[in-house]
Amino acid sequence: MSSLPGTHRLSLARREALWAYAFIAPWTIGFIIFTVGPMLASLFFSFTDYNIIDAPRWIGLTNYINLFHDDLFWHSLGITFKFAAIALPLGLVFSYLIAVLLNSKISGINIWRTVYFLPSVIAGVAVALLWGRIFDPKFGILNPLLEKIGIEGPGWLSDPHWAISALVIMSLWGVGGNVIIYLAGLQGVPTDLYDAAKVDGATAWQRFRYVTLPMTTPVIFYNLVLGLIGTFQYFTEVYVLTNGTGNPARSTLFYNLYLYQNAFKYFHMGYASTMAWVLFIIVLGLTLLIFRSSDTWVFYEGQLRGK
Amino acid sequence: MKNKLFKLLALFALASMVLTACGGGAATAAAPAEKVKVVIFVGMGTGTDPDQVEAQNKLAEKYNSTHDNISIEFLIVPHEEYATRYLAMLSGGNAPQLVGPNGISSVAEFFDTWEDITPYITADKLDLSDFYGPAVELNTYPDKNTGLPLGLYPSYIYYNKDLFDAAGVDYPTHDFNDKSWTMDKLREDAMKLTLDKNGKNATDADFDPANIVQYGYDDSWDGMRGTLADWGAENVGRPTSADYKTAVADSPEWIQGLQWLSDGIWKDHFVGGLEVQTGRDSAGVDPFGPGTTAMFYSHTWFLGEGLHDLSFAADIAPFPYNPKGERIARIDADNFTIPKDAKNKQEAWEVMKWLTSPEIIVDVCRIYGCIPARKSVQATFLEQLKTDYPGIDYDVIFKSIDYLDKPNNEEWIPEWGKIEDALNNGLSLVYSGEEKDAKKVLTDSNAEVQKILDEYWATHK
Repeated sequence: MSSLPGTHRLSLARREALWAYAFIAPWTIGFIIFTVGPMLASLFFSFTDYNIIDAPRWIGLTNYINLFHDDLFWHSLGITFKFAAIALPLGLVFSYLIAVLLNSKISGINIWRTVYFLPSVIAGVAVALLWGRIFDPKFGILNPLLEKIGIEGPGWLSDPHWAISALVIMSLWGVGGNVIIYLAGLQGVPTDLYDAAKVDGATAWQRFRYVTLPMTTPVIFYNLVLGLIGTFQYFTEVYVLTNGTGNPARSTLFYNLYLYQNAFKYFHMGYASTMAWVLFIIVLGLTLLIFRSSDTWVFYEGQLRGK
Repeated sequence: MKNKLFKLLALFALASMVLTACGGGAATAAAPAEKVKVVIFVGMGTGTDPDQVEAQNKLAEKYNSTHDNISIEFLIVPHEEYATRYLAMLSGGNAPQLVGPNGISSVAEFFDTWEDITPYITADKLDLSDFYGPAVELNTYPDKNTGLPLGLYPSYIYYNKDLFDAAGVDYPTHDFNDKSWTMDKLREDAMKLTLDKNGKNATDADFDPANIVQYGYDDSWDGMRGTLADWGAENVGRPTSADYKTAVADSPEWIQGLQWLSDGIWKDHFVGGLEVQTGRDSAGVDPFGPGTTAMFYSHTWFLGEGLHDLSFAADIAPFPYNPKGERIARIDADNFTIPKDAKNKQEAWEVMKWLTSPEIIVDVCRIYGCIPARKSVQATFLEQLKTDYPGIDYDVIFKSIDYLDKPNNEEWIPEWGKIEDALNNGLSLVYSGEEKDAKKVLTDSNAEVQKILDEYWATHK
């Protein structure tokens, strides 16, 4: 490899290290400026009264204390947890099942794989507009289909009791990303394990339960962690569908939507920064819990349990 | 060899950067006659439709070809991004010189960011007598004047003549002195104009409310303040006392107005609920255009948005008298504002004067659909209206100005956005049917507004 100017007298290892730093510099600089910088700034703002227009005023822990007395903070957190509790496991199971089906050896499988992956590349705004139309009780296609099987469809997005369910259904449509990851995991399961199981007389269900499932726990774990983070960042779809209001009757006032309202509608940027950091701590805590639990249920090939 | 190639590439990249930097400077130095640029931020209200963008660009060309010292440029921002983009520009030290057209609500939303133009008016000894009085008042606050009036948007009833004819119901009166045109009469007519899929109207005993195909009345495009401003409360469209310290959203008049609406949706069925609204939103249609709403209460800006290519005959009528025997017809208004952190504010003021001058205000208002705020151009504007919207009663538009809501339903109050959301949540409870008792809704909303006010005044003197 060529030398950087003035590095001839450096050792090879030192020169290689310098080259490495030079190559990662663009990303590192970008990361520091566009990620670390704003994070530190928001940490500072979280201790201030900052309305964007005037200079921030230091108020110590006031925002954090006020947050815990804010009914809408708890309300929005509750909605986000409720959504996560339903959408996350449902999404994981649904995408896993689709991936198992797409792992079959049938003709035209690549077309099916494309079909299931396609929705996940569509922008969130477009997805929201599309589903807004589908959910429409009068002009949409969902309720007439339900009517055909004798079910009277609800008002979905106009009914406070059904709005979250509608968003959960909508989220299932975008599981293509998860499916692809699961599919890669499923195809990585060594075939000799199945052969051995067959020789031992294992049924299809037993092969799935005792071979496929344990061997794909690393990808389930990966999708679980990313899904958890994604669910707690849920924003675009609900912002578009409710015009940023979180209605009907605040039934879709997700945590991030309330955070956005505080930042850009009420100009409480300091308070919004506090909300962002509290969310970060919550998600970090939950992620650590999942990591801690992974010792008991995630199996890595070549890893001895307990080591 | 590789080493040389790498050095060459590095030199080339460096030289490119230097040349680019020098190029930028040279271009700046060569700018003709050092015109000061005034950027006009468009997106807080109307002005972002493709035909409006084109018209604004033509307006900019007209200005730039006739002015030596200042050039203008319209910065078009999608409406859904206006808040984030404007705040990003402010916090980045790159405030636009002018913002507009702004409704009263967006003036209120960013109230603290606007420059007081009183010193500019005083310095120029600008005569404001040609502007409609209410238009000036709507921009005047105790501590600042936010901008010269551009246009007014009075409100009235748009009605579908074909549906009235088919139902055998007389058109709403156009006589502003006819005291029989009340909210009760509107309700009565609207019920006759509401039809189910079997053709029965809402006054029939066997009317089917689960299958309504045509509604008598709609006012769903306004929030709680706008919906209730016309009912004659002491504070009209403002949910607080005059000192902004006490919440008064539970006034008897507001409760009466909200109950009228709630009954209209859930008991008398002449107003569509939230399900109907979301259906229209997802289909991208307004309440009036599809021809399934007999009366739609809206403003002059709806002329431009909704009165083109209708498949039925339409006209406009005054808003009815409220139960107190008063007529209040809420009003919207537009202006251009100067952010107080903007550079070249004097030049921005010059452009603001030009945009609202008698020579150009009609052209500007034709772009945005407003009534020019100057009395001297009323005749000229009327001629334009006759061309653009033939066959409607133009008197209704101009006379409605006199019945504006004051305090206005969009005007500034502390924590404007937060209180708007609190009140509109209450309205959403009624429209969704989650709560049909107006007193309960407004008592709860009032308590929430009071809490917001208390928190505000705890930190503001």
